[in-house]
Amino acid sequence: MNVLEVRSLTKRFGTEQAVDGLGFELAEGSATALIGPNGAGKTTTLSMLAGLLEASAGEIQRKKNLSIGFLPQYPRFFPWLSALEFTEMAAKLSGVDSRKARQQAERTLGFVGLGQVANKKIGGFSGGMKQRLGLAQAMVHQPSLLLLDEPISSLDPTGRREVMELLKSLLGQTTILYSTHILNDAEEMTDQLLFLQNGRLVEHGSLNQVRSRYADPQIRIRFENTNAAERFMHESPWPAAVQGTAVIVPVKAEGPIMQDVFRFLSVKSLPVVGVEQETASLEDIFLKVVAGK
Amino acid sequence: MKQFSTLLLKEWRENLRNFKIFWIPVVFILLGVTEPLSNYYLPQILDATGGLPDGAVIELPDPEPEQLLVAVMGQFQLIGMLVLVLAYMGSIAGERRNGTATLLYVRPLSYVSYFLSKWLMASIVALISVWAGFLAGYYYTAVLFSAVPFGEFLAFAATYSLWMVLVVTLVLFASASMQNAGLAAGFTLAALLILQLIDSLFGSRWEWSPLKLPNYAASFLDIGPDVTALIWTLAISLVCLIGLAALGIWFSKRNRAKTKV
Repeated sequence: MNVLEVRSLTKRFGTEQAVDGLGFELAEGSATALIGPNGAGKTTTLSMLAGLLEASAGEIQRKKNLSIGFLPQYPRFFPWLSALEFTEMAAKLSGVDSRKARQQAERTLGFVGLGQVANKKIGGFSGGMKQRLGLAQAMVHQPSLLLLDEPISSLDPTGRREVMELLKSLLGQTTILYSTHILNDAEEMTDQLLFLQNGRLVEHGSLNQVRSRYADPQIRIRFENTNAAERFMHESPWPAAVQGTAVIVPVKAEGPIMQDVFRFLSVKSLPVVGVEQETASLEDIFLKVVAGK
Repeated sequence: MKQFSTLLLKEWRENLRNFKIFWIPVVFILLGVTEPLSNYYLPQILDATGGLPDGAVIELPDPEPEQLLVAVMGQFQLIGMLVLVLAYMGSIAGERRNGTATLLYVRPLSYVSYFLSKWLMASIVALISVWAGFLAGYYYTAVLFSAVPFGEFLAFAATYSLWMVLVVTLVLFASASMQNAGLAAGFTLAALLILQLIDSLFGSRWEWSPLKLPNYAASFLDIGPDVTALIWTLAISLVCLIGLAALGIWFSKRNRAKTKV
């Protein structure tokens, strides 16, 4: 069951094509990561899905009575309201019953770790606290779809971990679409990857699908010095690339060459520090996709 | 309706915590008090500033109390209006510009409630200010000179109040339709100046115009306004007010995409 289906979604600003013929689906309860370089059209896409921007063309089909929570990249708040007052207002404006709104606001603030400062004015909040409050206002009315624009980028490592755990605990009942440029985190919570570049969807699929398409496994051999690495590159029968004191050897589909590598290393008695087999990280894939396959 | 009370509470907190609900009335009270006080102490002021030959006797006729209240209104027309325009020029344009509007606009927001909650709060502050200022002026005029009949004073202040609410509506309309707060203030002030200029140049040809509201208000302290002309002016003013509010609502909805994300 899809909560949202997007077809040929397009947004033009004057002559600039910000989003160009985007199409994807969000399955209920899944997490989708929107990835792409700066200016790829991630924020524009999320704004259209949230209903802030009109699309120039294409259609967005939402499930009936779909309630949405939206966290902008830089959420701005009224500094003269307290966190609780703001979250309660957000709940009421999203249609939560007046009697339940305060209770729900208190619970949500506790959930994002702002329980202690619920009655403090937002004007005195740090960047990280505002990011958490942004999350609270997006989820206070228990929406079935959360649209999050860079929800973790401005947090410190501890905060990032906490918020990731918190979002993961929502999955299942809540569908999450989020943009990010922290690829390690995207790797951790994603059922679907959407790669955006120049407003176009250049790659998509599950993490494993995308990985198998791009990431041929490779062997990384680390040497004591660059000299040894270069000697390996020249003398070995395989195509290899030097990276500092290490050498990367792509693993061919035909068969395992790990043993061949060991044999070769012992014959040549090169000063090896370590050998490991790797699958490409999302970051490698990202660089490959952006560079144009 | 539920959204309206939620948004009105937000506006109330904003005006309270930004002290607008205190300092704007204070400005109007000062304007109201200055006129009778400076007239009362005019001889001493002239004396203190000097420049008159020794032995010169200053004899000034006591001003009529009605004149003083009309002069207070003149201050409101200049400084009072400027203060209200500057205080509320950013109500909508400012929220869009600094991005605080985003978190409201992503919800199923009623733009009628959104606009009217701001309009009601600004009108309440304007009314408190106008009445506090006029009452202060009335009191000092009565103490230092003589009292204006209270009934006439009420009609005067009430008629002028409608004018101020109309000005507030214009500011909010401008704030909804313009790119930013500065443009909204510029548009409002330019519109008011140009319309007042037209009305004072050619105004003798018509009697029904919202711009004549201050004149009709003042005439309550004199011989009283022509009732038919006043009723038509009130009616047209109300139509203008509703029209501006409707346009303001329409613009605040249309311009929602201009908010900073």
